Amino acid sequence: MNRYVVEFSKDGYIRYTSHLDLLRLFKRAFKKTGVEPDYSHGFNPHPKMSFTQPLSLGYSSKCESIEFDTAGDFTTEEIVRKLSSVMPKGLTITGCFTRDIKAKPLAAEVEAAVYAVHFSTTPYEDKFVKLTSDYLAQPQIIAAKRQKKTKKMADVDIKAKIRGIEALNDHGMLVLRMTLDCGSTSNLSPEQVISSYISFCGLDVKRWDVDVTREKMIFINK
Amino acid sequence: MDLSTKLDKLLKRVEKPARYIGGETNIIVKEPDDVRLRFAFAFPDMYEIGMSYMGLQILYSIINKDSELSCERVFAPAPDMEALMREENLPLFTLENKTPVRDMDVLGFTLQYEMSYTNILNMLELAGIPMLASERTEDDPLVAAGGPCAFNPEPLADFIDVFFVGDGEEILPVFLKKYAAAKETGITKAEFLKSVAGDDGIYVPSLYEPLYNEDGTVREYRRNCSEAPEKIRRSILEDLEHAEFPTDNIVPLIETVHDRAVVETFRGCTRGCRFCQAGMIYRPVRERSKDTVIRLALDQLAATGHEELSLLSLSTSDYSDFENLATELMKSCEQQNVSLSLPSLRLDTFSFKVLQEIQKYKKSGLTFAPEAGTQRLRDVINKGITEKDIYDAVEQAIELGWKHIKLYFMIGLPTETYEDLDGIAEIARNIVEINKKSGVPGRFNVTVSVSNFVPKPHTPFQWAAQDRTEEFTKKHVYLFEKLKMKGVTFNYHDDIVSTMEAVFARGDRRCSQLLLKAHEAGCSFDGWTEYFDTEKWQKAISESGIDTDFYACRERQFDEVLPWDVIDSSVTKDFLISEAEKASRAETTADCRFGCAGCGINSRVKCEMGGIYE
Repeated sequence: MNRYVVEFSKDGYIRYTSHLDLLRLFKRAFKKTGVEPDYSHGFNPHPKMSFTQPLSLGYSSKCESIEFDTAGDFTTEEIVRKLSSVMPKGLTITGCFTRDIKAKPLAAEVEAAVYAVHFSTTPYEDKFVKLTSDYLAQPQIIAAKRQKKTKKMADVDIKAKIRGIEALNDHGMLVLRMTLDCGSTSNLSPEQVISSYISFCGLDVKRWDVDVTREKMIFINK
Repeated sequence: MDLSTKLDKLLKRVEKPARYIGGETNIIVKEPDDVRLRFAFAFPDMYEIGMSYMGLQILYSIINKDSELSCERVFAPAPDMEALMREENLPLFTLENKTPVRDMDVLGFTLQYEMSYTNILNMLELAGIPMLASERTEDDPLVAAGGPCAFNPEPLADFIDVFFVGDGEEILPVFLKKYAAAKETGITKAEFLKSVAGDDGIYVPSLYEPLYNEDGTVREYRRNCSEAPEKIRRSILEDLEHAEFPTDNIVPLIETVHDRAVVETFRGCTRGCRFCQAGMIYRPVRERSKDTVIRLALDQLAATGHEELSLLSLSTSDYSDFENLATELMKSCEQQNVSLSLPSLRLDTFSFKVLQEIQKYKKSGLTFAPEAGTQRLRDVINKGITEKDIYDAVEQAIELGWKHIKLYFMIGLPTETYEDLDGIAEIARNIVEINKKSGVPGRFNVTVSVSNFVPKPHTPFQWAAQDRTEEFTKKHVYLFEKLKMKGVTFNYHDDIVSTMEAVFARGDRRCSQLLLKAHEAGCSFDGWTEYFDTEKWQKAISESGIDTDFYACRERQFDEVLPWDVIDSSVTKDFLISEAEKASRAETTADCRFGCAGCGINSRVKCEMGGIYE
């Protein structure tokens, strides 16, 4: 038995596919290429595979990964080559490495992620540096979050989960580079930061004028 | 802002944005400048429905195999997307190149069901193409349509430049190549259409003018040029075995109605059910050999990575080498961790063996379609299934562990009485009883689904009156009371929808007025219960002045000129009349494998199954 992690990026129209869509896409890709993951036993056998961290629909990413076990032996180059040959436009396999079969799932080792948030209709101005530090300096950073159980919006303080935000100038437009808690222990969605930032700065920005890219995943002990 | 930037912003605001992005596995994207002619295949319903339609995959593959042609896809945007497209002025576009549909050379709609017609008008409007053919210019694409509903093209005749009637895989590429060549010589669309009007399967409605009698019936179709044939012969693909069938099918990124590999085993049906249009217009039965079916299945699984395989035909078990085919496919599927699904099996001993094997722990419901509640009425419609067949099969099924039986019936069939409705309840009750007697423990359920009979053109019932909307409602109420039994679930369809379906199924050219009014009133996605809007339709009916009873509830005489008489299905009218007469006497006609029933198809093409068991 071998355990592999395949790394890939997601860009362009394909980012409008969901986490579940991607799961099915990889299942088929495995079937097509003969890189068959090991199947679970029981009445409903399903391939043993999991994404390190789900990506919201609409986000681009430079740092996605999927972990799976196989009964067959493959070199990592082989896996990259085979999967690359069947990926749709926008999904690019960027690497592959092996892991100890007894190791905890990679998903359990994620602690934070870096996002680049592009404001496509907001020109960059120097004032955003000050505004960003003022935003971060608030005693509490309140954002609206939909409650899982009641489905109602409630205000929560997200300050402790924000590791840093930088306002940058990208071709004259505002970009926020933010490092946020991510993973099973503590998780913060960029959506909450975006909406509270927009209202804090009093920007006239529609959500659909903002593009998010996950740039980097940060792991514990790395 | 260019189309793709605009689109990108819209995609962030709609449900299931992947419906509009293309980019699927096995998509074919050709550079617009690399081909002579660009064809947009339009499915007038949502992406998830359209992508489950095999005909799309077949034509997409065949057209794109031709280096001079390209085929791109377009579906009806869901209401949320449509509203934003109108708000932001984003024209209807193709998935492959994101090209505005109005910039394509030919736009071809597939006509799978009548209740998608308003979506066709809506899509034309969203594309910025005038809806009426007479208002389009040489700069607009040629607008075509094909599929089963093209067998009565008249309600759409004002909107469509050319209809394809019959099998499309041969005539469509030929037509497109002729048009590509013609365009380069600079002749007008009208001149071109005249030049192909005599070809099999090509109907150019503008070459015919319907004239009416005082009572509103059709007097004649006057041809306004010598090129127009008196009747349009349906196109027939004679050799299915060697016909192109795709293996590198597009695999949608999102879940669709059917996410699976599909191989067509045969086209046509020999059973001769009198209500069934498919059973008449796809004659004769043409089969693919077993080895070809298996090869296509394996190739398709390899090229798509699908986890489910299904067979496509009008009656799976009627395939002449079915036992060997099923046995071999089961073996291959098991080896590859692929699940096999076999729809519409005739429930004999062999089928049970197969079902046991392929469903194992996950037994889905077992389905029967008696269609009518009494033997008399089943004889009228020539549905060759007896109650004994059903009960024997149900007994076996219960023994083998099935817990859910699904029954399909139609109401409003010709000669139907309330006794026939009682028969429906009786069958459900008897099945529940059989289960009780069997002593097999556990929850057991019978679902009775009732649809409303819609008389279809080119069938023996094409002259029959449909029940009025209120009559359907009354019958549903009656059945609802009768079926109040423990363990029985009753489902039925919207009555007014069936009435509208009947109007368009047998409508004439005047019905395009009704479609226009319905479109103006905002009707779309009428096949969807949640979108069909009775009030809007009633408004459209009164504004158009169309008498729906005239089309839906009127019995026609055999000598009446029918709006679809211009289409020759190659099954003779004499045969349909004789079947209609036999129906009125409750006489059956045997499956024509047991003796030719004389439908006339063999005077046009070879009918291999006719009388083979004689």
